[in-house]
Amino acid sequence: MTRSEDHQLVARVVSGQDTDAFGELVLRHQSHVRNFLRKLTGDYTVADDLAQDCFMHAWAKLQTYSGRGSFIGWLLKVAYTTFLQSKRKSKRYAEILEQVGHATDVESRGVDVQPDEVTDLDRFLAVLSHDERAVMVMSYACGLSHREISDATSMPVGTVKSVIFRGKEKIRNSFDIKDHQHG
Amino acid sequence: MISKIINMADYLKDTEDRMLESMFASAPIADDGFSGRVIKKVRRHIWVRRLTLPIAASIGVLVSYKPVLGLVQTLAGLTALLPEDMMNLGSSIIPQLPMLVLGGMLLGACMVGLRLLED
Repeated sequence: MTRSEDHQLVARVVSGQDTDAFGELVLRHQSHVRNFLRKLTGDYTVADDLAQDCFMHAWAKLQTYSGRGSFIGWLLKVAYTTFLQSKRKSKRYAEILEQVGHATDVESRGVDVQPDEVTDLDRFLAVLSHDERAVMVMSYACGLSHREISDATSMPVGTVKSVIFRGKEKIRNSFDIKDHQHG
Repeated sequence: MISKIINMADYLKDTEDRMLESMFASAPIADDGFSGRVIKKVRRHIWVRRLTLPIAASIGVLVSYKPVLGLVQTLAGLTALLPEDMMNLGSSIIPQLPMLVLGGMLLGACMVGLRLLED
């Protein structure tokens, strides 16, 4: 999976609305995007729906990809934006429901969204904020560089580094990892 | 001694990073028709975009056909009120209104056709 192959496929899509080339891009990157969203949401069904939305947004905005960074970095930026938009929408939905007196519905909806299988990683991610979770997943699960994460999240590189540091600190403190390391 | 501490700190950092990497690592997700579903959605989206303008134009023509026809007939009736000399002058200089409407519709259809060809 090379960067130049991605660029060639993107060029084919942008120049001729080539759906086959876009299909190839989806096939190459769907695993990364779905994994990223699954870790972010903790819900496989929601994550896959968001991944579909993400690729639809990517199709519509592909001409804005400058080719400067990696395509997966750009795609994860679209995925993260899609995730934040859906988060805002559901928050607004919950607020409206609360205003009309359906607070219990909102609570039960929250309980419905449970990970299919709670792993150590899910417990680790649970102590992190959305920003920290996104940055940590991009760094440790997707292997993005600090620069790429900075592009994807619109955070300065220094902030990315401190978010990673803070995230690790939180995980360490919450699960006593330091103690385990020292024996 | 200091260098030993630094090396130890690096070692711990690396161990922690490696541990996190292995914890965050997950098996690749099989496509299982996911990309097919996305492409199906994309193609549907393209068709909807292509069809929106012609359908909207057709609906516009259908909706406006009767009022435009009524307007043309009213204007034609009004011409009877004008003096005969002016009428003769008008018919020779000003093009007929129905022809203008028809011309406008043809122009609209040509523009829609060109847009479709462009797509």
